[in-house]
Amino acid sequence: MAKVDSTRQVAIHGLVKRYHFQPVLNHLSLTLGDGDFCILIGANGAGKTTLLRILATLARPTQGKIHFGGHLITSSPALRREIGYVGHQPMLYNDLAALENLVHYARLYGCPHPEERSRDAILSVGLTDHQDKPLRTYSRGMQQRLSIARALLHDPHYLFFDEPYTGLDAQASRWLDQQLQQLHHPGRVILLAVHQPGRLLSMASHVAWLQDGQISHHLPLDRVDETPDLQAYLQEGV
Amino acid sequence: MHKKPPLLTLLDVLSAISFTAALALILFFTPTELTMGPVQKVFYFHVASAWAGMLSFILAAAGGIGYLATRKTRWDWLSLSAVEVGLVFGLIAILSGMIWARPIWNTWWVWDPRLTTTAIMEIIYLVYFLLRSSLDTPETKARLGAVYVIVSVITVPLTFLSIRLFRTIHPVVIAGGGGSVFKMTPRMLLAFGISLVVFTLILADFVCHRFRLARLNSQEDEEVS
Amino acid sequence: MTSFAQYLRAIWCIFRKDLQVEWRGRQGVPVMLVFALLVVFLFHYALQLSPGLQAGLAAGLLWISLAFASTLGLNRSISLERENHALDGLLLIPVDRSAIYFGKSLSNFVFTGLIAMILLPILSLFYQQNMFHPALILVILLGAGAYTGLGTLLSALSIQSRTRDVLLPILLYPLALPILIAAVEASRGILAGQPLRDLQTWLLLLLACQILFSAAGLMLFETTLEE
Repeated sequence: MAKVDSTRQVAIHGLVKRYHFQPVLNHLSLTLGDGDFCILIGANGAGKTTLLRILATLARPTQGKIHFGGHLITSSPALRREIGYVGHQPMLYNDLAALENLVHYARLYGCPHPEERSRDAILSVGLTDHQDKPLRTYSRGMQQRLSIARALLHDPHYLFFDEPYTGLDAQASRWLDQQLQQLHHPGRVILLAVHQPGRLLSMASHVAWLQDGQISHHLPLDRVDETPDLQAYLQEGV
Repeated sequence: MHKKPPLLTLLDVLSAISFTAALALILFFTPTELTMGPVQKVFYFHVASAWAGMLSFILAAAGGIGYLATRKTRWDWLSLSAVEVGLVFGLIAILSGMIWARPIWNTWWVWDPRLTTTAIMEIIYLVYFLLRSSLDTPETKARLGAVYVIVSVITVPLTFLSIRLFRTIHPVVIAGGGGSVFKMTPRMLLAFGISLVVFTLILADFVCHRFRLARLNSQEDEEVS
Repeated sequence: MTSFAQYLRAIWCIFRKDLQVEWRGRQGVPVMLVFALLVVFLFHYALQLSPGLQAGLAAGLLWISLAFASTLGLNRSISLERENHALDGLLLIPVDRSAIYFGKSLSNFVFTGLIAMILLPILSLFYQQNMFHPALILVILLGAGAYTGLGTLLSALSIQSRTRDVLLPILLYPLALPILIAAVEASRGILAGQPLRDLQTWLLLLLACQILFSAAGLMLFETTLEE
């Protein structure tokens, strides 16, 4: 089993994903460097979710290669150890309490001291008062917070977040901002899909624009003014 | 290229000729069986159809394995074609089995292990289509169809075995006496062997045609889109 | 922890989680049990059964109601993972994905076995027959194991279809036929007082089914779920 390299990098070459024989992702290429915090933008239905799911190994590409840390690895347990994913659904069980849900995942990820780790995670998301309540009693925003806690439980290096701010109130959004700022450093790669980049423009390092199944623009944020279309698109979202 | 490939035309001709030859052989060359009479001759095509049905199953499973290994659509076409054609051969086998059973055992249906297994195989084929039609994308149809067909191929021998064992414990008493076993003279054996070969040929021909149809359909879809 | 130990641990965690969820919600087992009993009543009247039931009918009744109840349980078990996309969460864990298959097969097996254990005294009561033979329990374990092994794999297919719950029975029953035949025949033999030695072939058939279907699950489960 190939070991994932310590140089965190995600290199995507010629990625194709077809549904109904139509390419949603059409020879997409993108390289995310070590320490990058890249915002993924694009219209609804452009394929952002598809791309993130493929990167998270939840879907299989029709064609193309993805290298993590310089090694070509198809979905393997070792790779998944390094990946944290937040999707549109919390991926937790309604009948179990919040704490129980996290402990379940902490054990599955092989975290040492799973109960302790889970309690700390719940504390950091500010849900300690509700940790023993079943998930079905949680609001959408609370579920989202817990889902993010779940994704970060095992200290992953590759973070793929699909519109994580959905359902978060102002306070929770600020909390997520803080988390992302803490996570944004060498040794990690963050790819975060948003519909409206707004607040993230000050935090992220890069932006990638998904159009027609390809990345039409991938730039460091300080060079966005070189591309008027992109700048306009981003301004709309602010 | 929309023209029919010459090899396929050759196969068509071969199938047609050999089928006619086999039919002639069975009708005129083979002796009439003593106790069963002329209706026994249905047996040749009955067993050959069942044989073709079984082969289709294996072909379908091969298509399934091929698809999962390569993810190339043509393997899915193979599975689909094999199941469709197998469905037809299975039906012929069952109907001819019933035609054979009626005058001999005075009943339309016998719970014979081979016949029952063929009937179950037909149901499995139908379920394959129900499964596919309940799925959204062609990619999912192909993937899950492949999984289903592979699991099915495992069960069919087990099904046959269990029904066979069941029958030895619960023998069905058939009014009219006699079993389905009869001794085959050399002429009959020859006709039997030839029927098997002929039906294998026809199977290959039908599957190729169905495969070609699938390919042409998908080309048409591509041109339209 | 070695990766094999992690693999086993994952199976255990998933199994445990299924039991935990069931304990909390109590939606699965009671429904399965009630359904099994209803099937018994339906067959009682449909086939005009009476106490002093022949071994064959008793065995058949046991396995039909068990099969129907088990299918309900299989549907429920996989639907659980569909809620909130919990299945995606399981697919993300750093363990070979066949662990999900084995974890869920195990919990499905336990629920089915539980129903069987409750059915035995009830059927004994209804038909004034002692159905408590250790050998019968062995057959139930083998049969339930093979059935849920196959069913868990097929439930991963049905959950992806538009027709969902409705599809599982038609996927499962034709393929589960050898299991049901073998289980009924072995049970019938035991209830009729035959020695276990005579029923060896059926037991071996059940074992063969278990092994083959588990192997199929091991190899195909991940492919079934990966888009």
